[in-house]
Amino acid sequence: MSSQAATAPAALPVESADASANKALVVGIVGIAITFAGVLLSGVTHVALSYLVGLTFWTAIAIGMLMLVLIHHIFDASWSTVLRRQFEHGLSAFKWLLVLFVPLLALCFVDGGGLVWSWMNPETVIHGGHTVGHDPLYIKKAGFLNKGALVGGTIGFFLLWMWLSARLRKASFTQDSDGDLKWTFMSRKTAAFGLPIGALTLTAAAIFWIKSLEYHWFSTMYGVWFFANCARAALCIGVIIMVWLWNRGDYKGVLNTNHFHSIGMLMLAFTVFWAYVTFSQYFLIWNANVPEETFWYNLRELNHDGSTNQWWYVGLVILFGHFFIPFWFLLSYRFKVTKHIIRRIAIGMLATILIDLCYNILPALKDSHEDALPFFSLNLLWVATSVIGVGGICVWSYLRSFPTAKLIPIRDPRIGESLTHHE
Amino acid sequence: MAVQPYGLIATFKTAPDLYHAAEQVRDAGYRHWDCITPFPVHGLDKAMGLKRSIVPRISLAGGITGFITGMTMIWWTGQIDYPLIVGGKPLFSPMFAFPVSYELTILFTAFATIGGMLLLNGLPRHYHPVLKYDHIVRGMDDTFFIVIEARDPRFNVANTKALLEKIGGASVTELEP
Repeated sequence: MSSQAATAPAALPVESADASANKALVVGIVGIAITFAGVLLSGVTHVALSYLVGLTFWTAIAIGMLMLVLIHHIFDASWSTVLRRQFEHGLSAFKWLLVLFVPLLALCFVDGGGLVWSWMNPETVIHGGHTVGHDPLYIKKAGFLNKGALVGGTIGFFLLWMWLSARLRKASFTQDSDGDLKWTFMSRKTAAFGLPIGALTLTAAAIFWIKSLEYHWFSTMYGVWFFANCARAALCIGVIIMVWLWNRGDYKGVLNTNHFHSIGMLMLAFTVFWAYVTFSQYFLIWNANVPEETFWYNLRELNHDGSTNQWWYVGLVILFGHFFIPFWFLLSYRFKVTKHIIRRIAIGMLATILIDLCYNILPALKDSHEDALPFFSLNLLWVATSVIGVGGICVWSYLRSFPTAKLIPIRDPRIGESLTHHE
Repeated sequence: MAVQPYGLIATFKTAPDLYHAAEQVRDAGYRHWDCITPFPVHGLDKAMGLKRSIVPRISLAGGITGFITGMTMIWWTGQIDYPLIVGGKPLFSPMFAFPVSYELTILFTAFATIGGMLLLNGLPRHYHPVLKYDHIVRGMDDTFFIVIEARDPRFNVANTKALLEKIGGASVTELEP
């Protein structure tokens, strides 16, 4: 089987990779430019939160890729070796994601600082008439929840992710040329300390970026929920890349049915995992019925006059689109191994992850009655443009990295097993 | 009339030999036959023309039964049999019935999977005609076997023996029932 790997095209022809990368870059810049221009129509805060949705969506994918590569190494996994290289290319996006985060961090120092995360401005008036600066709950949490921690933390998290990615990429790419086993052991060590670092940083990032939008709220599941979305998003992108490279011919003779079956099983497992943690969060809050916690869900179900708001229906879309539908589809062996079907499931799941992020972020925008602004609004346009914009930059980064290394890690000690996965 | 044998058994030295022999038995149209190997041989199911197992469907049926059992049990005890208000909660809500239903889904799925597997494999089985064959112990060590059963409509001692020899089977032997 490994002879087939040798005959498989090693990389994209450089010109075509450059052309598609440049196209992605243009799409990215245009998308981001339109998003920023949206400030003129919707104001800074609305556009900033919509941009936060798009940015966390792609950051979640990158974090998911990082975690999956680390998990691959810690388990000394074999089947995923052929796919790992694509994730390593994807990891190149972290530095650009940090650059794209800079506008949001800069807003923390403009106009009192509360434009994105309202608690940053102690003068912000909260429900009940007093200000954040006099809110006992904020004062108690201020040791963690302060401007320096969020800005410094965000930069620090990205630097850590970039560092881990650089180690993984260097080990993997260098092994292609020298075949030295020490790179495999180096990656395993990276995985051993990288996984706890990854778990802690992604949890803190989810708390700072998303959860702190409602800083009165409590949930111990939030980091786990974010991780579940990260892993699912990365697996979905993995499937899309697998089918894309298969259809183009690169992966012919590299992938077999069992690779699709295996990644499909992981998608099913993480679907159940996501449902488990998301339901646990809802269920515990529902059962305890304490106002400090229930308000978060009430905001996403009811207006102050008791009428149902649009977010209630969005919640149902998430319940079915993020659990029941993918769960039933992924139970089937045939659907997992049929390329166009598993790709469709992956695209559907990615769309629902985006809706899930909207559900967690956008209701922080409220009207004068403290009701969440509806889901269908101009902000959805800014979500779309920022997803396309940030996505364009990430795809550009991936395509730029793509021709710099072989299609698969040809001298990885597990490559033979991976090429003949269950054959 | 002599007693009809259980079937014919043939010996193969290597996994590839067995694999290609299995393809030919499959192509000859036999249905009641099996391979005996010391270890799982990847792809042998395809070479034997086996369909995917129906165990997953049995698992699914078990899972659905478990879920419904959990929901029904909580609903019956809380709403009908012994209504008691606890913590101001409704007498029944799928919300608090969920953890129990979820656990029972897993439990019943596991039972159905194990049970379905045992049932479809005809296990536990204390006697099988191949156990009388002297060399069968080597099927746990270094030898591969193909057994074609007499109940197969295409079975015919002379023709089947010829086939097994043609595809490379050594020491083709009749098995007592």
